[in-house]
Amino acid sequence: MLRLAIDIGGTFTDVVAETPEGLTSVKVLTSAQAPEVAALDGVDRLLHSLSKTHAEITGVVHGTTLATNALIERRGAKTALVTTAGFRDVLGMRTEKRFEQYALDIEMPEPLVPRPLRLGLAERILADGSVSIAPTEQDIDSLAARLRAQEVEAVAIGFLHSYKNPAHEVFVAERLRTQLGNDVTLCLSSEVAGEIREYERFSTVCANAYVRPLMSRYLGRLLSQLQDRGFDGSFLMMLSDGALTTLDQATRFPIRLVEGGPAGGVALAAHVAREVGSDKTLSLDIGGTTAKICFIEKGQPQTSRRFEVARAWRDVKGSGLPVRVPTVELVEIGAGGGSIANIDTLGRLKVGPKSASSEPGPAAYNRGGEDATITDAHVTVGNIASDGFAGGIIALAPERAPDAIARQIQNPLGMDAVEPAAAGIIELADETMANAARVHGVELGLDVSSFDLLVSGGGGGLHGARIADKLGIKRIIVPQNAGVGSAVGFLRSPVAFESAISEVEPLEEINAQLLRTRVEETLAYVRDIVAEAVPPDEIESSIKLELRYSGQGLEIPLSLPDPERFEEGFKNLAARFEERYLALVGFTLENISIELVSVSVGARERKATGPSDVPGAVTEDSQPSQRDIYDLNARRALTYRVIERAAINGHASRGPAVVSEAQTTTLVRPGWSVRRVGQGHLIMERAGG
Amino acid sequence: MTNAQDIIARNVLWNRLISVCEEQANALMRAAFGAIVREAGDLSAGVFNARGDMLAQAVTGTPGHVNTMAASVRAMLAFVPAETLSPGDALVTNDPWIGAGHVFDFVVVTPAFVNGEIVGYLASTSHIVDVGGRGWSAEGRSVFEEGVTIPVMRLRKGGALNEDLLNIVTANSRVPHEARGDILSLLTSNDTGVSRLTDLMREYDLEDLSGMTRFIFESSAQGTKAALSRAPRGVYENRLTLDGYDAAIELRAKMTIGDGRIDVDLAGSSPVADRGINCPLNYSVAYASFGIKALLAPEIPNNQASLDAISVSAPPGLVVSAERPSPVTARHVIGQALPDLMLGCLEQALPGEVLAESSGALWTIALSGAGKTAFTSLNVALGGMGARPHSDGLSTTAFPSGVGAVPVEAAEVAAPVIYHSKEFAPDTGGAGKQRGGLAQRIEIGSRLGEDLSLSAAAFERLTTGPAGRQGGLSGAKGQVKITDGTQITDKGIYRIPAGARLILQTPGGGGFGEPAKRDRDAVARDLSEGLISQEAAERLYQKEIKEREKRK
Repeated sequence: MLRLAIDIGGTFTDVVAETPEGLTSVKVLTSAQAPEVAALDGVDRLLHSLSKTHAEITGVVHGTTLATNALIERRGAKTALVTTAGFRDVLGMRTEKRFEQYALDIEMPEPLVPRPLRLGLAERILADGSVSIAPTEQDIDSLAARLRAQEVEAVAIGFLHSYKNPAHEVFVAERLRTQLGNDVTLCLSSEVAGEIREYERFSTVCANAYVRPLMSRYLGRLLSQLQDRGFDGSFLMMLSDGALTTLDQATRFPIRLVEGGPAGGVALAAHVAREVGSDKTLSLDIGGTTAKICFIEKGQPQTSRRFEVARAWRDVKGSGLPVRVPTVELVEIGAGGGSIANIDTLGRLKVGPKSASSEPGPAAYNRGGEDATITDAHVTVGNIASDGFAGGIIALAPERAPDAIARQIQNPLGMDAVEPAAAGIIELADETMANAARVHGVELGLDVSSFDLLVSGGGGGLHGARIADKLGIKRIIVPQNAGVGSAVGFLRSPVAFESAISEVEPLEEINAQLLRTRVEETLAYVRDIVAEAVPPDEIESSIKLELRYSGQGLEIPLSLPDPERFEEGFKNLAARFEERYLALVGFTLENISIELVSVSVGARERKATGPSDVPGAVTEDSQPSQRDIYDLNARRALTYRVIERAAINGHASRGPAVVSEAQTTTLVRPGWSVRRVGQGHLIMERAGG
Repeated sequence: MTNAQDIIARNVLWNRLISVCEEQANALMRAAFGAIVREAGDLSAGVFNARGDMLAQAVTGTPGHVNTMAASVRAMLAFVPAETLSPGDALVTNDPWIGAGHVFDFVVVTPAFVNGEIVGYLASTSHIVDVGGRGWSAEGRSVFEEGVTIPVMRLRKGGALNEDLLNIVTANSRVPHEARGDILSLLTSNDTGVSRLTDLMREYDLEDLSGMTRFIFESSAQGTKAALSRAPRGVYENRLTLDGYDAAIELRAKMTIGDGRIDVDLAGSSPVADRGINCPLNYSVAYASFGIKALLAPEIPNNQASLDAISVSAPPGLVVSAERPSPVTARHVIGQALPDLMLGCLEQALPGEVLAESSGALWTIALSGAGKTAFTSLNVALGGMGARPHSDGLSTTAFPSGVGAVPVEAAEVAAPVIYHSKEFAPDTGGAGKQRGGLAQRIEIGSRLGEDLSLSAAAFERLTTGPAGRQGGLSGAKGQVKITDGTQITDKGIYRIPAGARLILQTPGGGGFGEPAKRDRDAVARDLSEGLISQEAAERLYQKEIKEREKRK
């Protein structure tokens, strides 16, 4: 077996090989103009180091930010939107809402399709799916002539209520195909994102059409050049929801690839959660500029269809282009190692979202950065040892850290020592991340304190225990190789595909048999897609529903058993909804009908990764070295034992201790203990909890 | 010596307090009935200290709720003294003069007890879809016709829900179950907030919030003072004319910018109207303060101290200071015009730094079935925002309100109406160096071929468009008509006969700077996008057009 993962990011391209002997990786610079060049180069190098050939590769798994970058940099195809006459400005009007109440200078993103290329066609389908005005062939032909004259490369078709009845979109697409030929890309809103809400659906189909020519050319080049070198294994793409799909699907719906990279990181976290047998897991990945939070239940990341790309104003939520495709639900917080601490105009201590990034980086990097960052705070209190930081790649100038904090935080606040100021920066960062997790938990209707915390990224192990304290979490998982990137996650992801049916109707008015038929049709469609890469007996299906009280916005997700027991499961829905609602809100409502909002049908490769509790190698503490770390609660430095991961065994070892590794440092704070499980992951638990 | 731990704890706690409010507001928003309420975030949540002073508030919410709530808690405690409250109690009211300006808005206040003492309060407020009376229209001649008013009283006593009170509300509402659900949501939202507050006091070992209060108020007072001091001292006056219900209304302001504070007197504004577009003073204060704060101190969080730096007053009985029993349902028609009135004063203090006038009050499209089929359909039609000093105004975007429109598909699913078109209206943005935001034209009819009834209560600026600044021209005034030939000119109730359509064109935003100075590429772009007509381009930006032709 030889599987390769290729992760193309904006700066670096990672290639990871998995053989029965383990993982090997190589990192090369991304070749932005022709991304396949660097990817192929990385593959060549990796194969060379393993003494393998392309023909020996059994499978390639690929994720890329190329589609996202094309949307941000506006490098996509010349795209037109054909829409219902009278509604060409849906894209321009957006939600008509200001996303920041007090900012008078906000800017909205430019629509991907400019107004002159948004063309109305006389046609109309009503809310119940009935036809009010049918499009005429004559109108379509004259539209085709305009599209030809404009030399558009891609056409998005989005009509009102097409989620209910796609007939007009299909009819117009077929006619346009005969008129425009095969060189023009055609995308239908009912296929790309068949959900109610015209702005979000049109925005999604336009984004898909906009990146599709570029993506299909790129993927074609990559595959054919791999094949030229002798590759004939399977080729799968990483989707935004943490699942894999076939090249054919990826080419049709490239918009589903946009968050593939970050989804890989979450997929890895989900894999570790399955390995250690954690059913409810809060993944927290603390990197250099931001921290990312994702809830994972039963080894499956929380996904949603509410995502936006290419934010136009200060990266503020609401300023981007919405895309309604399944995406891992990541909350990104401006609190990473490089986040800058400062005193704002009100004299308040603030951390982030501005970041010193890696250039010039934290003051302690000594690359010209003068700002006090979270990393500087860690250096000052003693959390980070100055030697061997980041695997020895960066030589720290530790004395610059307290200088920067004294100058920018301690003195302005009139504090008597630099250590408490530094500890305060860390405390505030912990608070910010814990608040984000709590607020996001409320949004999803989850009780954060019942989750395990899985920390990753360079800073995960440093912040985990304090954040867990704040959230009432009692167990923390620190994966083996917590610093490893998304590419490994690609190798751990299942092949899966999901499709949605919009069905806003009161439960009591729904014909369960008819719905079952629609679900079965959709299920057959998604299973066929997955079956292109997975044997049928390894495919499991899921039917997820969203329900709400009619008129309310609080949508509660529930799942249904397979179609054979559909009607039976359907009957219990109302009771299950009320049970969840009661748990969430504290009361239920009477005489208000419960309505179905959406059905999403998925097929997924069964990934069996059972928990493993084999204790790790039992080794006694070989080097009893110690380190002093300032503690905000104790108001003084506490002495921590410094231990190696390999020296931790299956028996709990009490804090305070520091686990020091090449890429990360893990703090086992007082009150916590640590042990190691089979796969090398660390488990921290609250003593007595 | 300053205690380092305390400094850190205060900073962490301030963040947490805002986060607690945010969490409450988000939970409320999801549970709220009525698409408009959710789109708008027509709600708010806040944390108060034991004296009833507001410490922190959710950023979510419309200015109307955000700023009225600050005064609500103390006002409610004046009716039910704090010493009579026990754990498990909660207070409620929808009194327009204590809450948020009309009977639709309910405020619930819950005390937080630690060791038997009240340490603070959680308050939240939300718009309830229907509380009886005439429903959503400006037709009431007094507040008594506008729905049931609940005086300040206990919604819960010692943990036992006041079912009698809830029965009164539900007996008076057209959507009783939804109304009950919304009120209970406020209660549970506060309960969660109370436990978050007491948790954090335990985590940081606090006995009371007095230290926090001092820190938050001192920092905020200083910060606000510094921010307001950017505007030169002086007295500035401005006036603005609105259509009114059926006769013009004048709004007047005299703004005194002093040493880090601003005082506004609305004396001289028109007296109360006899229909429900009047505004209680609390709601006027909320929107006037919002306009000032958005321009001068947008980044300072809302709390008692930051709000205290701005005062807005008016003699009683004016359209901006209506007293009971004046009708007030559509009070936003007046309230939402006040930011433009304030910005006009500030323009004199800071010439060239202030955006042009915007379309103002939200246009509520309140349709109901007037044939065989009974239904109501509520949406909003948004106009253009005024041009900003450095950029064009946003098209079809609400300002000062933060409400978004209900999507056409959702509106058509919810009620038997058809939107025949909804597009930008060319040539409606005020010409200028920066162009005002565009208005939109919407055409609506019945799906059933039945009569429709329309409340025109909120169609404002039908006689004059929003003014430009610094030489910029006015945005287009709004127009509303029915295809049977009826021109809508006042805020009454209209009938749209079967087969006819309602055609709305909202007002456009005012322009900023002289049109002749507009970047020629921007003019060409507007032209190619069809946002301005060839005729308008030549007439308004003639110099530019001619220059371009010369170059050809």
